[in-house]
Order: sequence, then structure tokens, then C-alpha cells
Amino acid sequence: MAIHDAVRAALLFLAASLASTASAEAAQPLELHSDVKVDKIIVAEGQSKHVLSEPDVVVPGDRLVFRTAYSNTGTQEVTDFVVTNPLPAGVALDPSATVPAEVSVDGGQTWGHLAALFVTDAAGAKRPAQASDVTHVRWVLKSVKAGEKGEVTFNAIVR
Amino acid sequence: MKRSARWLVAVSAITMSVMGAQAAQAAGTSAGTTITNTVTVDYKVGSIAQTTKTATNSFKVDRKVNVLVETQDSTTVQVTPGQTQVATKFKVSNLSNAALDFALSSAQLTGTTAKHGGTDTFDVTITGIYLDSNGSGVFDSGDQAVTYLDELAADGSKIVFVVANVPLGLGTGDVAGVTLKATGREGGTAGSTGSMGAALSETSSSNPMDVETVFGDSAGAADAARDAAHSDGDDYTVLAAALTVAKTSRVVSDPVNGTSSPKAIPGAVIEYCIAVSNGAGSAAANTVTVNDPVPANMTYDSSFGIKVNGSVDASGVCSVGTAGGTYASNTVSGSLSNLAAGDTKTLYFRAVID
Repeated sequence: MAIHDAVRAALLFLAASLASTASAEAAQPLELHSDVKVDKIIVAEGQSKHVLSEPDVVVPGDRLVFRTAYSNTGTQEVTDFVVTNPLPAGVALDPSATVPAEVSVDGGQTWGHLAALFVTDAAGAKRPAQASDVTHVRWVLKSVKAGEKGEVTFNAIVR
Repeated sequence: MKRSARWLVAVSAITMSVMGAQAAQAAGTSAGTTITNTVTVDYKVGSIAQTTKTATNSFKVDRKVNVLVETQDSTTVQVTPGQTQVATKFKVSNLSNAALDFALSSAQLTGTTAKHGGTDTFDVTITGIYLDSNGSGVFDSGDQAVTYLDELAADGSKIVFVVANVPLGLGTGDVAGVTLKATGREGGTAGSTGSMGAALSETSSSNPMDVETVFGDSAGAADAARDAAHSDGDDYTVLAAALTVAKTSRVVSDPVNGTSSPKAIPGAVIEYCIAVSNGAGSAAANTVTVNDPVPANMTYDSSFGIKVNGSVDASGVCSVGTAGGTYASNTVSGSLSNLAAGDTKTLYFRAVID
């Protein structure tokens, strides 16, 4: 019987600690929203401007903007905030737009500035990485304060 | 040795796959492909790592219809009057990101500037559009008459010939311009093989997960931009033989003076020289036949016979011919060898005044 009691007590403790973790999470809600827009350049009266629209009509060659909005709706500061975004198959990073500071060309194993990365081709030759070689992009923020909101974006082209 | 051989095979296989990937890129990601972006966020609260959060969004790649028709003849197709089944060569490429059928139609220019710079001056008789079924790259008996291309895959291309007959009575430099137009039609669905699909139209929807149709083609020789069609021109230029005939005669001898200043008196021998010339820059003339009835009151000189393929001097005197030709029903006939541009060949014979 003593052993059973001990087991019961251990289970109770475990349940209590799980509940406390859940409540800690509930107290730190982090809201994420990701979307994608088509970036069309419309030339009117000699001026070209970017117009973002819903991805209702998307064909190869179209420019896209992938956006991830985050919001710390909790009461505590969030630290070591890392947004990782593998590039979906069928899109390539747009070399003409601003490339995120940290990218990976090897499936997320190593990260760095695009200009500092290299890829090895089938014949074993090393060459500087191009925007089209990028497999992942990420953003690292030291901290997101309580109530702070923000958005990270990257531009891509449909292959 | 074995090891290095295996390594080489592996390298070539990789190269192949890379090339395949590049080829697929011309038309791009296939229509209907779902692109899902998944973003993950790792973070800490009070230096404790929290459960990773993810967010996703998706849309489908729509169908972009784009076709390219290009003539494969770098210069005009040279024809002779009356030539039949002469082909102009075109390549039809499906630059869409989906398999499609393509309706083919040909047309003729009406007096405008043809593909290779000449001005259209006549119409050929188009006998059909043929697919280079046997892949020979030239129009031949193995090719099949078509009105459409069935199930041309994304990035696929076919060689197509517009075949025509050339009328008679044309001169060197006459030009006939033709165009070939390929118009995208529905394809790529189960059971769509073997018949031409329905006409395409652009669609719109406010659902990113619907696959819409967008026309992305450029304007061709005989079609507008964004009409699901493309066209290119080609042309035929006539190179005819320009034959001229000159007939001269001279008195060779008479019974009184012999060959010294002979006169055309009864019993005199007359030599007739028929010179056939082909103009400079013309097509070679083959199987040139000369027929000449012997004038009344004259008798054909069978002892001299008929000489063909001779030459002629400035005063119209024929020489150096070889024996040939026939004499029948009071008419001299003979065939001359092929006459290249700028060539002159002669047929000559003698007759005696009765």
C-alpha cells in the first residue's frame, strides 16, 4: 500500500506540474499570422508602384511577398525569438528585393549572409550562393517585449 | 578502377537531373501545384524554451497559357514555278505550365512584307499542315497531316510544316508569305487524348486555392498578345528559269559560187542556228527541247544531220555541237543538256533550197 501511495503522490505531482506549465503558456500567448500577397508593379502616369493583392491569380514568374506578423499579447518579455521559414517548393527568393539577413542554402544547417555562403555543385566545384539557392530564411530577435508587435517579410518569385 | 567508373556514372546522373530541372523551369511550376508556406517560431520566456509555434498559408499556382511559334527557315524557301508539296518549317513550343492541345491554322499574306524581307506578290496553294511525326526535321512521306497538336506537355515542342503548291507563270523574285498560328486548347485531362480540346478562356476567382487560367503569350506575326495564340511567318521566293531563244540562218554554199560568198539560190545549203539562253541569276533549266519545222520549199539535209549542245558566236554562227536530235514529219527536234544560269546552248541543222 505504501508503494501505491508513493506512485499516486508522484502522479499528482506530475499532473500539477503539467497544469502549471499550461498556465504559464496561457499567460504568454504569442500570436502569429502568416500570409502571402502577389506583388504587382503597376505603371501609371509614368510612375511605377507596387500593389499587393490576394494570391487569387498566381502564375510562374509572379512576385510574391510572404509576411509573418507576430504579437506578444502576454505580460512577459519573450527572448531569443527565432522565426524560421523554409522556402516552399515552387518559389525562389527574389534577388532584386531585400534578402533577409540570415539565410541558409543547405536546408537550415548553416546560416549567414547570402554573400558569405557558398554552394557545391555536382562536380564538386564551389561557387558563391545565389538567391535561387536559398532553402531557408530566418529572423532572430533578441527580445519581443510584452505588447510588442512586428512583422517580418521576404520577397520571392514563383518558379 | 571499378570505383572511379561508378563515380562517373553517379556524376552524369546528377548532371542529367539538373538539366531536367532547368528545362522544367522555362514553363515554371505546374498549374495546380499548392504552395504552402510554413513559418515556425521558437522563443523563450524567462530563459525557458517554449513550445514552437507555427503558422501556414497556401495558394495554388494558376495555369499560364503561353505558346511560341518560330519559323525554322533562316532564309526564304526557294521554289520554281509549278513545284508541288514544298514545305516551310515551324516550331511550336508550349511555354505554359500545363499540357495543352494546340489548334493549327495557316494563312497567306496579302501584299505585305514577308518574314524574310520580300514583299508578298502571289499566293501559293496550301495543301496542308504536317507534323514531323518521324522526327526527321525535313518534310517527307513519313509525316502526317494534322489540324492540331494533341497533348503537348509543358515545355514540349513540335516541328510542323506548312506545305504548299506553287502556281505556274511566276518570275524570279516573286514572293508568297505564309503564317502559321497555334492556338491553345484544353488538354492534359483524362480522356483528352485523341481529340482537340475546347477553346480556352481566361478565368477569375477570388479563391487562392482555385486554379485559374491566365493568358501570358506575346503578339505574333498574325495574332495579338494575351490571346492564347502565337504565330510566325515564313515565305517562298520563286527562282524561275529565264529562257530566250534566238534563231539565225546563214548560206553555207550554193551550186554556182561554192562556199565563196554563196547566195540563197535554188540548191544553196542554209544552216539554221537556234540558240537557247538562260538568264543570269535564274534557276537551271532541265530537259529543254527544241522543235523547228523546216520551212516550205526547203529540204532537210540528212547528210549534215542535227547538232545539239553547240555554242554560238556574236554573228550568230553555231559550232562545236554534237550529233543528236531527230527529224520526223518535216520537223527537226532535239534536247539540250541542263542550262545553268547564264548558259547558252544551241541546236543547228542544214536544209537545201528546192
